[in-house]
Amino acid sequence: MVKPKRLLRLLLRIIVLGSTLAAVIIMATSHEKGTFFALSYEAKYSDTPAFKFFVIANAIVTVYGFLVLFIPSESQLWGLVLALDLVFTMLLISSISAALAVAQVGKKGNSSAGWLPVCGQVTKYCNQVTRALVAGFIAIITYIILLLYSIYTFLNPLLGKNG
Amino acid sequence: MALQNEDKLEVGYSSLQPKPKKWVLLMLRLLAFFATAAATVVMGLNKETKTLVVATVGTTPIKATLTAKFQHTPAFVFFVIANGLASMHNLVMIMGDLFGQKLDYKGLRLAMIAILDMMTVALISGGASAAAFMAELGKNGNSHARWNSICDKYKTFCDHGGGALIASFAGLILMLIISVMSIIKLLIKPKPDSTTVVP
Repeated sequence: MVKPKRLLRLLLRIIVLGSTLAAVIIMATSHEKGTFFALSYEAKYSDTPAFKFFVIANAIVTVYGFLVLFIPSESQLWGLVLALDLVFTMLLISSISAALAVAQVGKKGNSSAGWLPVCGQVTKYCNQVTRALVAGFIAIITYIILLLYSIYTFLNPLLGKNG
Repeated sequence: MALQNEDKLEVGYSSLQPKPKKWVLLMLRLLAFFATAAATVVMGLNKETKTLVVATVGTTPIKATLTAKFQHTPAFVFFVIANGLASMHNLVMIMGDLFGQKLDYKGLRLAMIAILDMMTVALISGGASAAAFMAELGKNGNSHARWNSICDKYKTFCDHGGGALIASFAGLILMLIISVMSIIKLLIKPKPDSTTVVP
C-alpha cells in the first residue's frame, strides 16, 4: 500500500524530472539560420555561455532526479538526498537567473551599451528559448515545493511535542 | 557510581557544546553581512563617466558625455537588491542572536531561521549568477549577436563590478555554510526530556 505522503513526493519528483528534461531538450534544439540583408547568421544556444550553463545545470539535475527515483523507500540515503536537493535548487536558481538576464538583453537590447535586440531577426529561436526558460521555471517552483515538503516530513517525527 | 560519572560527563559535554558553535555562527554571520553589504555598496555606487569629442565645428570641439551606470542593466539592479536584502537578513539575525534569545513563536524559532537562511541563499545565488553572466557578456561581448564588449571603454566600471561580484560570491559561500549549520542546529536540537540525540 503506497502511503499518500510518499506518493505526493514521487509525483513532485516526476514533475521536476519532466520539466528539467524538457528544458534541456528545448534549449538544446533551438537554432535558427537565416539571412539578414545578405548577411547570413546562425543562432544557437551554444553562442551564449549563460544558455550553456542553463543546459548543463538542468542536465545534471535530470540525471540526479532519474537516479533518485530508484532509491528504496526506507534507505538511509534520504538524508543525503535532502542535502543534495538544497544544493541543486541553488544550482537551478542560478542557471535560470543567468539565462533570464541574457535573454532579457537579447529581447530588449541595452541602449547604453549599444547592444541591439536580436529577437526581431531570430524570432523562432527566441520563442524556443522562452519556452525552455518557462520549463526551467516550472522545475524550480516544483523543486522548492518538494524541498519544503521533504524538510517538513523529515522534521515532523523529530519535532514531536516541540512542533 | 558509573551512572553518576556518566551523568556528570553528559552535563559537562552539553554545557560545553553550544558555546563554541554559537560564536562560530555569529562570526560567520558577521562576515557574510560585511561581504554582502560590501557587494551592495560597491555595485550601488558603480558609475563611470566619459567625455568623448564627437565632432569639431570650426575650432570648438563638441563633447558628448557617456555614462555607465549599474541601473542600465536589470541584472545589476537585481544584484544590488538581492545583496541588500541578504545583508539586512544577516543584520536582523545577528541582532536576534545577540539581543533576542528569548523570542520564540510556538517553538518554531529554529525552523524559521533555517528557512529564512535557505531563502537568502537562493536570493544571493540568483543575483550573483545573473550579474556574473552579464559581466562576462560585457567583458567578452557576443560576436554572434554583434554585441561589442564595453570593458575596454569603461575599465573602472568593469573593475568595480568585478570586485562587487567577488564579494557577493564570498557572501554566497558563507551563507551556504551558515544555512547548513542552521539546518543542523534544527535537526540535532535535543528534546528536553530525552537523552538521545537524533540524527
